[in-house]
Amino acid sequence: MNHTPAPKAALHAPQQSHNSKTTASGVKQWFKKQGYRFAPWLFFISLLILWESICRLGHVPTYILPSPSSIINAFFNVSFSRWMVHLWATLRVALLGFIVSILISIPLSIALIRSELLNRTIYPVLVVIQSTPVVAVAPLIIVLMGTGDASRVLITCLITFFPLVVSTTTGMLETPQELIELSQSLRAPRYRETWQIRIPYAIPHIFSGLRVSITLAIIGAVVAEFVAAEQGLGYFIQFSTSFFKIPQAFAGLVFLSAISLLLFKSVHWIQAWLFPWSLPKKK
Amino acid sequence: MLNFVRSSIIAIAIGSCTAAMAADHVTFQLDWLPGGDKAPVYVGIQEGFFRAENLDVKVATGRGSTDAITKIATGQADIGMADIGALMAAKAQDDVPVSAVAAYFTQAPHAFFVLSNSGIHNIKDLAGKKVATSPFTSSNAFLPLVLKQNGLSDKDITLIKADPGALGPMLMTGNTQAIIAWVTNTALYKAQAAQAGKTITVLPWSEGGLSLYSSSIIASDRFLSERPEVAKRFIKAFEKAVVYTYAHPEKAGEDLHDIVPEVDPKIAAAQIHSIYDLVYNKISQSDGFGVLTAKRLTTTWQYVAKANDLSPDSLNPEKIVNKAFMPTPN
Amino acid sequence: MNVMNAFSTPSIENVAHNDDQATQKETTPNAYVRMEDVGHCYDPTPDGPMAVQHINLDIYRHEFVAVVGPSGCGKSTLLRMVAGLLIPSHGEVSVFNKPVTEPRDDVGIVFQKPNLLPWLTVKKNVLFPLKHKYGHVSLEDKKRADELLTMTGLASFADKMPDELSGGMQQRVGIVRALLLNPDILLMDEPFSALDALTREQIGFDLLDIWRDHPKTVLFITHSISEAVLLADRILVMSKRPGTVLDLIDVNLPRPRTAKDMNSTRFCELTETIRGHIYEPHSRA
Repeated sequence: MNHTPAPKAALHAPQQSHNSKTTASGVKQWFKKQGYRFAPWLFFISLLILWESICRLGHVPTYILPSPSSIINAFFNVSFSRWMVHLWATLRVALLGFIVSILISIPLSIALIRSELLNRTIYPVLVVIQSTPVVAVAPLIIVLMGTGDASRVLITCLITFFPLVVSTTTGMLETPQELIELSQSLRAPRYRETWQIRIPYAIPHIFSGLRVSITLAIIGAVVAEFVAAEQGLGYFIQFSTSFFKIPQAFAGLVFLSAISLLLFKSVHWIQAWLFPWSLPKKK
Repeated sequence: MLNFVRSSIIAIAIGSCTAAMAADHVTFQLDWLPGGDKAPVYVGIQEGFFRAENLDVKVATGRGSTDAITKIATGQADIGMADIGALMAAKAQDDVPVSAVAAYFTQAPHAFFVLSNSGIHNIKDLAGKKVATSPFTSSNAFLPLVLKQNGLSDKDITLIKADPGALGPMLMTGNTQAIIAWVTNTALYKAQAAQAGKTITVLPWSEGGLSLYSSSIIASDRFLSERPEVAKRFIKAFEKAVVYTYAHPEKAGEDLHDIVPEVDPKIAAAQIHSIYDLVYNKISQSDGFGVLTAKRLTTTWQYVAKANDLSPDSLNPEKIVNKAFMPTPN
Repeated sequence: MNVMNAFSTPSIENVAHNDDQATQKETTPNAYVRMEDVGHCYDPTPDGPMAVQHINLDIYRHEFVAVVGPSGCGKSTLLRMVAGLLIPSHGEVSVFNKPVTEPRDDVGIVFQKPNLLPWLTVKKNVLFPLKHKYGHVSLEDKKRADELLTMTGLASFADKMPDELSGGMQQRVGIVRALLLNPDILLMDEPFSALDALTREQIGFDLLDIWRDHPKTVLFITHSISEAVLLADRILVMSKRPGTVLDLIDVNLPRPRTAKDMNSTRFCELTETIRGHIYEPHSRA
């Protein structure tokens, strides 16, 4: 698929020409634009300042609420290499679980769409698996499968696959009936109906499922680490708490959220890169 | 070409054999995350006690005694530490293939922590006070027994449950007059109190009449029957590591920190200091280090049975111990 | 893929002609698509309601037949039967005297919505039926797609994405896509109903141009009476559900038709007649 980036350029063009039209309104516009751009950051920074001053002026002990500065301090007190060890442990499990989840969910969704029998027999099982709290099952999985990566990956899979199955099947079912008729009238093989029509049509849905799943993957990896792990950010947080190092635990938490956010954005970037047509159009 | 492949396969096979002959692999299961009280196994690795016995020891962290027992029972670890009470309760209900081989703490680690200026000097003073505990600690089962031994009942105190991480702050802020925690955490609570400009006093239950074994070395029956020599060598080395740990707490803290960088060596050393009495006390002096005596096992079981609402006849406490591996009193 | 000269007469016609003679019996000569007492019921229960019933219709080769009727009268059902996407529960649909029992690939279908694939360029959308049916497209096919796009004035849009095109342009692409396999029958299911009035008229005339230059048998479903009169040779007027034939009207307006024809007396008479059929009480029977 070759896509021309032309429409995007066209979308931005009017704004720029508008700016240069009249200088006075241009300056105003510029401030407005910059304001929109920096408003979230300003808000975030003022929130941090407020938090810091409450902790300092109110002499709040760190074990009740650590101040942002103590969290930052704690962050830099842990060596870079240790952060990387923990990050890699969590990321490895989360991404592996996520990928395995994709490899299971998409073929499963295709099977569910194509076979009414499978849909009737497997779907209820999926719902049961989904409604079982993974936190409760995690210790059993560790007992059955050992304390290695495999069980942590399985726990991550259990938590991530369902949103993917739901979004993929929904997307495939939302394919216009007329295109299915087109395919039937051409007497095309069934697999081409799936691959050339249904799956591409499901791409926007699949990606919203992927965005939900990637954040769940991190949660899954952390849940698994709470049960059994020697490394990882979840383990690190649990460990810091057990030593009452609350700022350090917070630092781990902030790092974890940052990673989650980054992965969430990455899924969006991948979608924009591979399937630009599937993104909602900016008007 | 074929010869080359063949010879390299043989070379690899021999290589792996000699590696296996070089050291016996043992996985040691902790019952919680690394900390000062878990230092001996790390000391054993760092100070070469295990190497001297030709052992290659790997440490696995745990999430509670039950978790440790389960992991050892299912073969994910060979040997480890857990509360002997938890093992007794497990054995009484389900014959898990795990046995106790040596004592580590010969006293119970449970304790009340109070602020030093609270006017509470012993357990009896808790009458009418608010006490906070965490929901899943094994201490809760022993609480009625220790209260009874001090002439109180559970109606005399107001028990509130909170997350373990919240207990310290609750005590410092006066939300509760006492908390239930383990003496293994004394150093941590003292540091927390110091931050709030306060000092704390520890009221160990062992001094309040609760006299029993707690943390012990336990091993899977399969490990003991299939590799008895390895088990014996491990226990011998572990014993040396314990002695070294409590003789050199600062060095032990450093050793622990070298393997688990997140552990603050000073805090670990402070922890080791604060739990010295659990390991070295009158019991260990009279019976010998690591020895589990029939008499004290029976006492322990009576407490455990009562605390867990189990029939005293449901277990013969001596049966949970594999005496063949117990250190001999010197 | 067998590359046909862009608009040659398919060889199948000769075969059909022989068939025609062999089984002539009482059939009308040259009847191309034939419906004999066709009825359909979507409900599998014996007394389920009929969507359409007692439809008898002969469509001649290269004839332009429009179907009008109130919403839900089963116009689309009729179209799907000819395409072989739906097998009637009563009666029989045949093409070249051969009963339609499975989807036919000598039909091109244009839907109400363009239904272009948003991930493909205009040209790839046009080539999609071939790619979909055979798994690959040849250079010849691409050349043919270019010819069709040029013919319909879409050549400069070939590499654009569908969402860069207006609704009318998208539907033009939809028509080109239906023409790619050079079908003998073109089935159009309210193809212009989503377009604005001006675009709608223009694209109607464009369709007539294409049809004049490259004759096809067209079954054109619409709910616009004037559109039907403007485009068709004959108009099938259907009653509301269960759809039956109310009238079959010969338009008899000279071709080529222009916007001026819409002011002629004949045009007004015809639209009046049809409107009368649709709104008269007997249609509610």
